[in-house]
Amino acid sequence: MRQRAGKTDGMLLVIVLFLTGFGLVVLYSMSAYNGQVRFGDAGYYFKKQFFAMTLGLALMYGVSRMDYHVLGRYAVAGYLISLALSGAVLVFGDAYNGSRRWLSIGPLSFQPSEYAKPAVILLLAFFVSKLQKKKSSVMSAAVMGMVLPIVGLVGTNNLSTAVIILGIAVIMIFVSNPRYLPFVWIILGGGGFLGVFLSLESYRLERIAIWRHPEQYEKGYQTMQGLYAIGSGGVFGRGLGNSLQKLGFVPEAQNDMIFAVICEELGLAGALLLMLLFGLLLWRFMVIATHAPDLFGTLIATGIMGHIAIQVILNIAVVTNTIPNTGITLPFISYGGTSVMFLLAEMGLALSVSRWSG
Amino acid sequence: MQKTRSFHRRKIVVIFAGTVGALLFLGGRLAHLMIAESEYYAVLAEDLHERERSIKAARGRILDRNGVVLADNRTVCTISVIHSQIREPEKVIEVLCKELELDEAAVRKRVEKVSSIERVAKNVDKEIGDRIRNYGLAGIKVDEDYRRYYPYGSMASKVIGFTGGDNQGIIGLEVEYEEVLEGTPGRILTLTDARGVELADTGEAREEPIAGKDLVISMDYNIQQFAEQAAYRIMEQKQADSVSILAMNPQNGEIYAMTNVPEFDLNNPYTLSQEQRAAAEAKAAQEAARKEQGEEEAAQEAALQDAVAAVNGAALQDAVAVLNGAALQDAVAALNGAALQNAGAAVSDAALQKVESTLSGEVLQDALNQMWRNGCLNDTYEPGSTFKIITAAAGLDAGVVTLQDQFSCPGFKIVEDRRIRCHKVGGHGGETFLQATQNSCNPVFIEVGLRLGVDRYFEYFNQFGLNQKTGIDLPGEAATIMHKKENVGQVELATISFGQSFQITPVQLATTVSSIVNGGIRVTPHFGMQVKERDGTLLKVYQYEDDNRILAEETSETMRYLLEQVVDGGSGKNAYIEGYRIGGKTATSETLPRSANKYISSFIGFSPADDPQVLVLCVINNPQGVYYGGTIAAPVVREILGNVLPYLGVEREVSQTES
Repeated sequence: MRQRAGKTDGMLLVIVLFLTGFGLVVLYSMSAYNGQVRFGDAGYYFKKQFFAMTLGLALMYGVSRMDYHVLGRYAVAGYLISLALSGAVLVFGDAYNGSRRWLSIGPLSFQPSEYAKPAVILLLAFFVSKLQKKKSSVMSAAVMGMVLPIVGLVGTNNLSTAVIILGIAVIMIFVSNPRYLPFVWIILGGGGFLGVFLSLESYRLERIAIWRHPEQYEKGYQTMQGLYAIGSGGVFGRGLGNSLQKLGFVPEAQNDMIFAVICEELGLAGALLLMLLFGLLLWRFMVIATHAPDLFGTLIATGIMGHIAIQVILNIAVVTNTIPNTGITLPFISYGGTSVMFLLAEMGLALSVSRWSG
Repeated sequence: MQKTRSFHRRKIVVIFAGTVGALLFLGGRLAHLMIAESEYYAVLAEDLHERERSIKAARGRILDRNGVVLADNRTVCTISVIHSQIREPEKVIEVLCKELELDEAAVRKRVEKVSSIERVAKNVDKEIGDRIRNYGLAGIKVDEDYRRYYPYGSMASKVIGFTGGDNQGIIGLEVEYEEVLEGTPGRILTLTDARGVELADTGEAREEPIAGKDLVISMDYNIQQFAEQAAYRIMEQKQADSVSILAMNPQNGEIYAMTNVPEFDLNNPYTLSQEQRAAAEAKAAQEAARKEQGEEEAAQEAALQDAVAAVNGAALQDAVAVLNGAALQDAVAALNGAALQNAGAAVSDAALQKVESTLSGEVLQDALNQMWRNGCLNDTYEPGSTFKIITAAAGLDAGVVTLQDQFSCPGFKIVEDRRIRCHKVGGHGGETFLQATQNSCNPVFIEVGLRLGVDRYFEYFNQFGLNQKTGIDLPGEAATIMHKKENVGQVELATISFGQSFQITPVQLATTVSSIVNGGIRVTPHFGMQVKERDGTLLKVYQYEDDNRILAEETSETMRYLLEQVVDGGSGKNAYIEGYRIGGKTATSETLPRSANKYISSFIGFSPADDPQVLVLCVINNPQGVYYGGTIAAPVVREILGNVLPYLGVEREVSQTES
């Protein structure tokens, strides 16, 4: 029944390697100033990111050489570990910028919520493919029930990541369920819930107000700085390394707002090329998902596609002030060691699936 | 293992399609932001990144009528350190300490402070600045700047005025002609990061500053010097508090000289002289003592202050009452005595305790303000007998008196229930109006005033412009302090007629007399004449009103003759210079409160009497010993005229004495 392992998806590998390389270069450009100002070392962020990327690439290679079916056996264990870690971070975690999101082991720090994403993808792919014979609505409900604990745990201190995990789950369930109509209801229901959720706390409504008129609010500062960066980029940008906005104007230029500074340095042309690259990446995931030898592989690739798609779209939407500000990083580009490491591990997973494609 | 079904694939494609749709939408949004709105955000971003450093413009100079530079600029340097650029901090500290002669600890603090730019020293000589620059040390910034410089130090300090830290005028002409003198600062535009640190190699846009314009004033350096020397001499001789001298052209209002000694050093305007410092300290101690006084004394103090307020003309009616009512005067004197005694006792105690105390800010500021006051126009005084010129002019113009009218002076005149004394106790006896003017006879002028009556007198007072400010181009001209017309009875009118019970500024008196003797045209006293470019190009000539007739031509001529007679054979004979026709009038007035026995003696003179070219007013405040204006002030004016007339090219008329 099982096919022999074939060739890995070379195009996916090239795109991923290009993105990581591009990400490193851009990250150095964006973070040099902040590194110099805060740590007296322009390469401070670059070095840490480089280290995490190296680890991530090794991890990616390792995972891609594995038979992803083997990983299925560890899906539940991996998920339980992510629950444990997400619980632990609430108790032992280090706070940075006011959020308790990091676990430290010696000099290394680790963000459990980033690990939770691949764990959830694996778990859902495993269970959905196992439960496919059951009635689809029952199965969907059961799967949803499985992810809620991690969404709740992560959501207590990192709402954005919780939303991403939930989004991944919804996409995977959507794909595994033949029907469409219930999802329309889910989306409408989710919208309604969001409305109620926002109006419960005035500070959340304030976010909406800031989104509509960022120039009128003190807290619209970050958004405005992002827009300044984007707007001053023009078609071809100031050139790599020449951003002015990264010089302390855009807070944390190497993080969530990195895309704005990319726009400033590389212009509309560079920004669209980067988006095209992400599009190609997602296209490869689609190809891998539709050509996977079994539902497990299909769902793994689908989950990864959903993950990347959600983050890319939300990040760019925030930076362009298309939606209210929320902290979502741009995959492969934004600073974040744990994030890039597990992203690369996910890529390894996708590559592994691709090897078995028919 | 489950197989992947076709609906799975379909749904994956749906997801992908949705994603591509979202990305396309965002790409469109991005294109909109980066093309359509690019300009808008780019301009905002530019504003954010650009820092303006202004380059001071050179302030325009002030030149006297012959081009002598009275206020100039000197290039000075501001020395700063830029922390992030310093490579050898110890060397930098050493050099700055040595060259600027500063304390090492202070310099170290500046150098080691983590900030974008730290100013170490201001107003450093260009020479020193150049030397520091020549060390070529990274992180030291030497910025050139202009500082106001007054070549003649204290000369005409209260007229010229000085400038503050940003080269803006603080007092005098410097503030009055701020718009002319101030330049337009230039700008250096640089790009900075969010902390305001300038970015290297981004280039800078430079807008050159535009220097201010030169102001040519009517002051004549030489006449001003004559006047100041004469003023200092008489002040020392008579141990006077202060002396004001004003010399102007009565034909057009141009002021040649205006001095109020003691002057102060324009290059160090915030430094009090030793005497001024002592006075301020005593005042501070007195202030402190006052606070320690009990309630009883405080009540007396309040009363004293009321009396002082009367002096300032706040309650002039009271002052007039004091003037005439002996009882009241006594009361005030008693009050003064008691309060002063108390204060004095307390002062000596407090003063001893506070010998080493420095002046508080407020006291110092008061003392400085006092030092900067231009007595010629910021302060009013009772003009006394010089004001008889106005009464005479009004009387002659109205036809209520002629030069030949006969009067008799018994040494006093009774007005209503009061007996107003003449300065000559025995009286001048029978005299014509001409002789009465020569004698400065009070009863005769009271009679002329009474003949005019309150209505007509006030009409002339207003017509002569005495109720308005002169409009001199200096800040802070004080207004005339005059009775309300409805409160003026015969007694008040009598005192006004010989220049008492009201106050005007010296410049008001000089201007009014100028207008009376120049043919009857009211002039506007002024300094500002022209505005020029630095290279001498004439930009503007100031025009002043010169067609406001206040007196008939003939009356003016009579007045010139009358006043010449005062100098030729009357009380002003000490101003007489052989070969020159000089007109003038003396005055001796007693300051309020009368009990203090302080006097102001003054003389106003002009020459040539038939066609006045220059008019000089000399006011001596609180001279010791002999205080008669004719005795001490007239010789000062004679001395000045003796110098100024030949200087102005007025020929001596040798035959004059024979005719």
